[in-house]
Parts: sequence; structure tokens; C-alpha cells
Amino acid sequence: MKHFVPRYIQITPTLGELSWSLEPSDELLAVQLGWMEWLRKETTGEILDLRQGFTALGIQWKTAQSQERFAGNISSISVAPSSLSKKIWEIPVCYEHEFGTDLGGVALGKRMRVNDLIDLHSEGIYRIHFFGFLPGFMYLSGLPEVLHTPRKAVPDRSVARGSVGIGGSQTGIYPMESPGGWHILGRTPVRLFESNQNPPVWASPGDQIQFIKIGTEEMKRMMENPVSPTFR
Amino acid sequence: MNESKGHITLLKTGPGTSIQDLGRTGWTQFGVPLSGAMDSVSAAWVNHVLRNKPTDAVLEISQPGLKLEFSAACEIAISGAQASITINEKPIQALSQMRIVPKSILDVGVFDSGARVYIGIRHGFQTALQLGSRSFFKEITEKPALQKGDVIPYPTNLPNQASGLSNPRWDAGWYQTELLEFYPGPDYRLLSQDSRDKILQGDFRLSNSSSRMGTILMETLEDTLPELPTNPVYPGTVQLTSGGKLIVLGRDAQVTGGYPRIMFLTEFAQSVLAQKKPGQQIRFSMLSL
Repeated sequence: MKHFVPRYIQITPTLGELSWSLEPSDELLAVQLGWMEWLRKETTGEILDLRQGFTALGIQWKTAQSQERFAGNISSISVAPSSLSKKIWEIPVCYEHEFGTDLGGVALGKRMRVNDLIDLHSEGIYRIHFFGFLPGFMYLSGLPEVLHTPRKAVPDRSVARGSVGIGGSQTGIYPMESPGGWHILGRTPVRLFESNQNPPVWASPGDQIQFIKIGTEEMKRMMENPVSPTFR
Repeated sequence: MNESKGHITLLKTGPGTSIQDLGRTGWTQFGVPLSGAMDSVSAAWVNHVLRNKPTDAVLEISQPGLKLEFSAACEIAISGAQASITINEKPIQALSQMRIVPKSILDVGVFDSGARVYIGIRHGFQTALQLGSRSFFKEITEKPALQKGDVIPYPTNLPNQASGLSNPRWDAGWYQTELLEFYPGPDYRLLSQDSRDKILQGDFRLSNSSSRMGTILMETLEDTLPELPTNPVYPGTVQLTSGGKLIVLGRDAQVTGGYPRIMFLTEFAQSVLAQKKPGQQIRFSMLSL
């Protein structure tokens, strides 16, 4: 586990990050979540903001002294990785052309049948690493390599809320209407962010996601009577 | 405490008028941007002279052509950009603190210097708190920006006597500097010597592409570093994007990003930048820890 020992970089007097020179992975995520837990427990009241990326944890300290103390002690801190959640959220997705506006283009580019593309995407189980990009947007790992697709050269000006897309080595769901460069394969009726709830999201980093194919009728029903996602 | 309420009504506004406070610290783990006043120096000043709490909400105006009406007596303070401002068609002499009588109309005309005007009000504007802040943000607050006809409540429990403060005048001299101080970011070391020299010695100008999310600079660097794993970014982070363009992230920027993070501007430098218009020149100066 020696290579999971992070480097601590001080960026400003009160901002720094724990950083790993590794590719994103479940193992690294477990180590990051372990550090998050440790920091929340051991530095109570000293941290203003703690945020996660694929290979770093950003820490904003309330005072420069807190950062100095942490940076000075880091070599003596040992943190056990968290055990990753077993939860798999089942997210209904309608992969009809009406919603999956780029299905044809992506399938053509990969010389694949549209149905095979949909099967590949919905059979995968994806791991939530963290939230970013937009409120409630989950950064997911686990997209099969054959579905890796460069982002659109010219981003779409408006991608609908709930759109499920692929871009680069990632897949994800747009929690709100936004410009975006990903290829859209379908849409979910599930809401990903509720600003009047605490927490405003239902999933946590470490949980997993699976997309469940639904038809147009079911989609319409769920759009009218929104459902909360369930997990198994 | 007198609970009576007044309100301002926006009779006219350009794009980019919003309510802002210190922002949503503590919600970034859910992907929620920090938000808050782009120029925190000016926003803090109006709250200070009004003897408000630092967390009280102010009005941020980024375009000339704003007109609003006050329904009830209040005490306001104005800072930020030097603009032609009138109250009931009488020009105000200097940006500062003032008493407003009911039915007064305030006009914000051309900006002589600076890019954002801040109007504070005694006890702060009272739009809804969402995730601990009143700062406007799409899909978190009811609206992403204020529009003509919008009504914003404010408390009218003023002290009977004028405040004991001598009337302080807003001095806009501080943001005339072109020099923005930064700390090198985690990916600064990936830059070539040539690019570092350009950052430390070159002149840069703001492009037209400037918003609360970020400001793209006109000059480019030769380096086009590879896209990296998505990691935390902050207001003031300077990213080197495709084509060598530099983007300085603003208060509404996303909380993580995949472009190399080459610099981090100080909060003061972010406020200075927030008062620059497209085409204006800036230079960078490196700080070390």
C-alpha cells in the first residue's frame, strides 16, 4: 500500500491538496474516502472546505497555522482506506431516439448496432467518485473502453436535464439543463439535485450506479410523477 | 424589533444583476459552486459602513442601465465601479452611504471606471436563503439573475438617529492596479520556461468572454498541456485550456475541472480583476509561500 501514500502540496497559505500520482481507481477512491473521514474526525473546526477530485483532495484551512501543522505532521499520519459502499442505485433511463439524440452518430462511429450500444451502456456498473461540474453531477468510472468517445468538437449549447451521455472515458447524467460536449444516449426522469433538501443529492461517493432501460410510456409516466431512485 | 418590510422594484436592468453574499461554503462536496460577490472587497465595504453583518446580501450590478424604486425609507451604501448614479434624477456626488426616502428612484448610468457596482442596504436584502446563502445561482435560487419587474424585500427597522459614523467615501483607487498576485498552482511546474517568462513578464488583456463563471484572457501560451484527471478548482484558479488560452475562474465556476491548474490568484487580486472590463490590461506577480 506504500504507493497510496499521498503528497501534500501547499498552494496558498490556507489552501493545499493531498495528491496521488496514480490513475483513478476504486483502490485510490477507498484511500481518498479514508482520508476524508480522517480529516473530518481529526481536524474538527479547522477546515473550511474539503473537496475531492479523481487524484487529489483539496483542503481549505481556516488558518495558515492549521495548514502548517498538518503539513508538518503528514509523514506521521497513517490512514486506513474506507471500505467502498455495496449500494447499487438503479437509475431508469429511456434510450429512445427522442431522448438519446446522439445514439445513431455514436453507433455509426463505432460500427456498432444501436441496440448493442445501449446494452453495453446499460449493463455497466459505474462507481461514483465525487460530485462536480454542476450541482449534483456525479463523476463516474467504469465506462467500457469500447464506449470511450472523444467529446464533441463543438459543444451543444443546451443539453436537457436528465440527459445521460458519454464523453472521453466517462459517462454521466446532466442534473440540469446546461451547455455540454458529451454524446447523449438517453434521459432519466429521476431528479439528481434538490436544493431544498439536505443533503441535496441521494447518492454518496463510493456508491455504484446502474442504468435500467425503460420505454417511452414509462418515461412519460415517471416524468409526470417523479420517482425517487432505489438501490439494491 | 420592527418587522415592517420595504422592497425595491427593478424598473429596468441589463443582464448580470444579482443578489450576492459570501456564498455557499460547505456545499461544494455536492458540486455546488461557491458563488458570492465577484469583488469581495467592495461588497464587504458596503456592509461595513452600514454596520451590517459580513454575511448580509448586497446587489451586484455589472451593466449600466439599471433603474429601481424603493418603496420605503432605508439606508443604503454604494461601492465598486465608479458610475454615474442619480437618486430622483439628482447625481450623487460620490459613492458612499445615504438615506433614502420612500418612492425614491435610483438610476445607474455609465461606468467611468470599474465593472461592477455594489449596493448594500441596512440589514441586507432578504431574498430566500438556499443552501445557506442568498447568492443567485441557476436552479439553486429561484432565478439565475434579476429581471425587470422583480421585487426584493428589505427590512425597514432603521435607527432613529443617523448612524454615528462620519460618512465614509468610497475610494476606487485600489482596483486601478494592473498587477494581480498569484501563487503557483499544482501544474505550474509542467509549464515550459518560455511560458513561465511570459506569465511573469507579459501583458495580458481580458477578452469579451467574461462572466461570473470565468474570464478568458486574450493572450495565449504556447504550451498546450494534456488534459489531466478532473480535480478541485476554486474561484481564482487559472486554468490553461486547449489552444493555450488562460481562464481565470470566477465565483460561479464549477468546483472541479480537468484543465491544468497553473495559478491561484489571491482573493484581493480576484476583486481587482472583477473590476476590469474586456480589453483592459493586467500583469501577474508571483508570490511564494
